Amino acid sequence: MTDIQKLAESVDSLKDSFEDHRYICSNQIATAVYLAYHLRKPVLIEGPPGVGKTELAKTTATMFALPLIRLQCYEGLDEAKAIYEWKYGKQLLYTQVLKETLDEVLQGATGFRESVNRLHEFGDIFFSEEFMEPRPLLKALQEEDGCVLLIDEVDKSDHEFESLLLEILSDFQVSIPEIGTVKARAEPPMVFLTSNNTREISDALKRRCLHLYIPFPDVDLEQKIIHARVPEIPPQLRTQLVTFIQELRDMDLKKVPAISETIDWARTLLLLHTESLDPELVRETLNVILKFQEDIDNIDHEISTLTQKAVSAN
Amino acid sequence: MDKTLTSFIATLRNADVRISPAETLDALNAVELTGYRDREFLKNTLALVLPKTADEKDTYDTTFEQFFRFAEVSGESSTTLAADGEEGEGEGDGERQGQGDGQGGSAGQTKPTNSKRKARPRFSAVGEEDKEEEEDLGSGEISNPVSALGKLLMQDSRVELSVQMADAAKEVNLDEIQVFTQKGLYTRRIMDQMGLPDLLKEVSALKQSFNLPDRRLAQELKKRQEWLREQVRDYVERQFLLHADATGMRLREELLRKIKLSNVEHRNFRLIQEIVYRMAKRLVTMHSQRKKVFKRGTLNVPRTLRRNMSYDGHIFDLQWKSVKVDRPKVFAICDVSGSVANYARFMLMFLYALEEVMPKVRSFAFSSDLAEVTELFERNKIEDAISKTLRDFGGGSTDYGQALVDFKKKCLDDVDNRTTIIILGDARNNYGDCKQDILQEIYQRSKRVIWLNPEPRNTWNTGDAEMRKYTPYVHQAEECNSLIHLERTVGNLLKTVQ
Repeated sequence: MTDIQKLAESVDSLKDSFEDHRYICSNQIATAVYLAYHLRKPVLIEGPPGVGKTELAKTTATMFALPLIRLQCYEGLDEAKAIYEWKYGKQLLYTQVLKETLDEVLQGATGFRESVNRLHEFGDIFFSEEFMEPRPLLKALQEEDGCVLLIDEVDKSDHEFESLLLEILSDFQVSIPEIGTVKARAEPPMVFLTSNNTREISDALKRRCLHLYIPFPDVDLEQKIIHARVPEIPPQLRTQLVTFIQELRDMDLKKVPAISETIDWARTLLLLHTESLDPELVRETLNVILKFQEDIDNIDHEISTLTQKAVSAN
Repeated sequence: MDKTLTSFIATLRNADVRISPAETLDALNAVELTGYRDREFLKNTLALVLPKTADEKDTYDTTFEQFFRFAEVSGESSTTLAADGEEGEGEGDGERQGQGDGQGGSAGQTKPTNSKRKARPRFSAVGEEDKEEEEDLGSGEISNPVSALGKLLMQDSRVELSVQMADAAKEVNLDEIQVFTQKGLYTRRIMDQMGLPDLLKEVSALKQSFNLPDRRLAQELKKRQEWLREQVRDYVERQFLLHADATGMRLREELLRKIKLSNVEHRNFRLIQEIVYRMAKRLVTMHSQRKKVFKRGTLNVPRTLRRNMSYDGHIFDLQWKSVKVDRPKVFAICDVSGSVANYARFMLMFLYALEEVMPKVRSFAFSSDLAEVTELFERNKIEDAISKTLRDFGGGSTDYGQALVDFKKKCLDDVDNRTTIIILGDARNNYGDCKQDILQEIYQRSKRVIWLNPEPRNTWNTGDAEMRKYTPYVHQAEECNSLIHLERTVGNLLKTVQ
């Protein structure tokens, strides 16, 4: 039994191992990775920004000791950047070499037809793997021992690109017109796709994936996360700041703080040698967790009540 | 077990979660891997495979709780029976063992089914009146029942009972159940079909008896009868969820789509909103394959060189820098005075639900004075924005002339040949000045002016309605008073504005 198999033996062992790698996850998340491994299916991860979607893929890669291949999606991303591209420079050189040897090849040929036949016999490598520059998707398929493929923010790409992904997601293969079908080596990659839901992902894509929705964590989980990420922070302050953030999430804000912001704030408070939250301090460090001036203004008059609540939560 | 899964999927589909056959297969594979033992594990597993949006996950959660409820109270025999009722028809005995095992695991304690069955009515099923008059007869000898159902009940044979129950359900056509008020009726019918009248007769006869074992039997039968009623109720409930809930819902939705929007009652707003979103979503998928409108710009030199390298550097495939064309604009001008307010509510809801494919929408509300409410919609949730709009601008008598004047003052300059203007109102101007010359001006500047009138066409010019004066200056005037109308109009709009 390999290490990976041992890790993926049960949901609990996965969860523990994630914790060892300082990624605290819910049962749902661990189940997703478990199923992804055993059913060999891609996972589409959705959720608000900053809840650890990309982090999950990264941690999985380190945990399984697999290389991580990442493809960042954006508008206008096409197959030349995602799957493969020809090495034009080398192809040019090749044609020049070909030109020089042309005389040898064609020596003694009579008539146009025979020349062309000779040329065909010569063997054409103009479009062959020699001159192919693999891009992330193809690279992931070519990895010998499998890898973790992260297709980040797939919602930012165009509709056409989504269709391009379908083949690789369902069969772990890509078709290149000039060469044929490239299939995954023995171990297909584990694929994670993330989406911030800026637009609806097509049903065809969703159908091929396991769908994992990561919501904001509850108090306990978030405490654990902070504990794992910023272990130096005193427990009392940790409870306070998590309570504060949770309260904040219930408010009507333009952008609610995510886990990454909670972690940043914890680090900030640690740096300031804070023992306990007080309104003045919160006001001064608020820009770490709220990213819109409007939001900061909006909750300004509530800060003291919120802080009070957080402090008394201990 | 597959049958359980497929019927669960059927229930989910009824609850509007879209599940393709491919996903059903995935679910089967996943469950093969995970098994049914651990309820939470099963729930997490299926949650990954079946529902594919956040909304669907919510629906899934509740449906799962309802459907697999029997596993939760699994210590009780009732659960086994309910489950058997589902499967008993085909695969009776063998299945039961597995089911029992699973429950034992999650309940943590497995008592013999027999004792559980007797214990159960004490907790819930016994009616109040029974408790009062029940005398303590102690334990001891019990007579044997005579009626068929009585015998069955005393046999402790769950499989037999569940088969009977399923048969009876078939006999009374349970699958035709339509609305939830019928649940009681069908429960009664199934009980009758199973031989309840005989049992009741026997019980009352036994109660009169002076014989102690007889009276004990009467008590016991009574208990078990109550317990059976619960089982049947459960069974009916589940079948109802399976077959009818969605049908009834669909019926209501169908009605709501056609009903005049001004007649929609407040309690149906939520439902309507859901329908609007669903309609909007359909339109979104229909129109989301956005056509790329690029204007040809200047030559893109690096790209051209790169593209043409494969042609030995001979440049014949030229690449151009593309210029994206500005998005077209939609202005919605809504009359929000009393009679038309509801229509405005739903049209705005529709327009903003289409955010994804709809060009930028600016909205204006008026009854006498006109004000822009775009920002209100940007900052608030749609429902809140709508109610705020209606509250702030709703009162007052309608004055279309004034509204047009205001519109001209505020943003006629923004109207250009890519602007579509939708006016929603009944054109009832309280005999005021129509100012149709302003509408003419708008008409000439914009790409399209659409007037949606909630009133039927034949009343467009009666009384103080002034449609006649306005229609020459609109490209299209439509009657629009139900969701279907709205959907059609907005659909057409999408075709033209993109």
